[in-house]
Amino acid sequence: MTARIIMKMRVASARDESGGVRVLTLKHPLRDVLPEWEPGAHVDLRLPDGKIRQYSLCGDAGDRSQYRIAVKREENGRGGSKWVHDNLHSGAEAHVSAPRCNFRLHASAKRHVFVAGGIGITPFLAMVQAVRKTGTPFKLAYCSSLARPPFFEELQRHCGDGVTFYPASGPGRRRFDAFADLPEPAEGTHLYCCGPQRLTESVRVAASRWPQDHVHFELFQPAFDENFVPEPFGITIASTGQRLHVPADKSALEILRQAGFVLSSSCELGVCGSCECGYRDGAVIHRDAVLSPNARQDRMMLCVSRARGHVTLDL
Amino acid sequence: MPWSGTLEFIHIAPAASYEMEELKEARLIPGRGIEGDRYFNGTGTYSPKPGVREVTLIEMEVLEALARNDPPVQDKPVVLAPADHRRNLTTRGVPLNHLSGKRFRVGETILKGGRLNFPCKYLEEILGLPVFLPLYNRSGLNCWIEKGGIIRQGDAIEPIDL
Repeated sequence: MTARIIMKMRVASARDESGGVRVLTLKHPLRDVLPEWEPGAHVDLRLPDGKIRQYSLCGDAGDRSQYRIAVKREENGRGGSKWVHDNLHSGAEAHVSAPRCNFRLHASAKRHVFVAGGIGITPFLAMVQAVRKTGTPFKLAYCSSLARPPFFEELQRHCGDGVTFYPASGPGRRRFDAFADLPEPAEGTHLYCCGPQRLTESVRVAASRWPQDHVHFELFQPAFDENFVPEPFGITIASTGQRLHVPADKSALEILRQAGFVLSSSCELGVCGSCECGYRDGAVIHRDAVLSPNARQDRMMLCVSRARGHVTLDL
Repeated sequence: MPWSGTLEFIHIAPAASYEMEELKEARLIPGRGIEGDRYFNGTGTYSPKPGVREVTLIEMEVLEALARNDPPVQDKPVVLAPADHRRNLTTRGVPLNHLSGKRFRVGETILKGGRLNFPCKYLEEILGLPVFLPLYNRSGLNCWIEKGGIIRQGDAIEPIDL
């Protein structure tokens, strides 16, 4: 996966949506034209303590003059969203990477079905704008705990009848049932889901009859197996033959960095795709949420994935 | 071979992968680098790697050749702006490929040429531009600072060791 430039951008505007969501418009003080992106892409936001958080771009991909992100304040999160809410006011500086896309619209699709839960609506805000321009039919199911979820008016404006709201509270309370509410699988109908794990899991189960390359998930957290016990393993560097030992409590990424390898990484949770690396000769235990089954045959994510015994890396 | 050149641009990046920022003047500290730059701070992409890169230089003439696709190694010209090549100093009229192991003056400071810079895939990735091949053998020079001081845009660059 590729390295990306980091830009010192300015918050051009900040406003609050319902549900504790802050919407930020970001501009570059020197560049009128920002790096291009496609709907579903995310940027890295760098926090002052060096941590990195990823946010989907939720504006119009056709507008290269600004980026828009939406950040839900998570009181019990890892602290990134609180920092954003407390510090990124209009005029503040924000260190933002060029966009990367792991969750893209399939250009050949004849129809798109979007399922969003909570703040997982953000990539779809960009997708529906793009799909409206191409005229490809789409449906959006938007599940929220709120009777009036964030971006309610905007979605009504952009989607008309194409959006169905599933509020978990209020008089219009309506529950999303992945088995009943998803359409039948059909050639050319692509399904995209982004939201909390219980939603993505229910959609994954309900969509098990769909062709696997027609179903796409954007995960903010990898679906870790709680019973996984990390074991130590060995690494051989293909170019030099150098051998490294990865203890059970360390990642391959950490050990390679200690050995002087310069490797990019970002989320270090197995969801962003920054630390992708080729491998040969080894039984890799894939624990990421980005690589396709096909890619897993010779690619791995060094931050979370491990090997049974030994692996040779293309480094 | 007598030559005489000028310093056209000064750029630093505060940390690895950050955009380069243009400076009108900068302070060079021997043994460290350019004040505020990622290699001065030890946070550059290649900081853990051996080799000196206190100051990195590239020729403006190379950027102009890329923009003409000369020689034609690419399908089309590559426009590499001085803020994008990620070297610190952009020079004109300075034969950088001949200055490995040689000392030369930049304004009031003295640099000593280390190894020739090698184009990296990292630069290609970060720019999204095919620059590896066009920069091959003309990717600039990595230098030591032998005498520190202030450099300014437009400073003269003159040889010491011929």
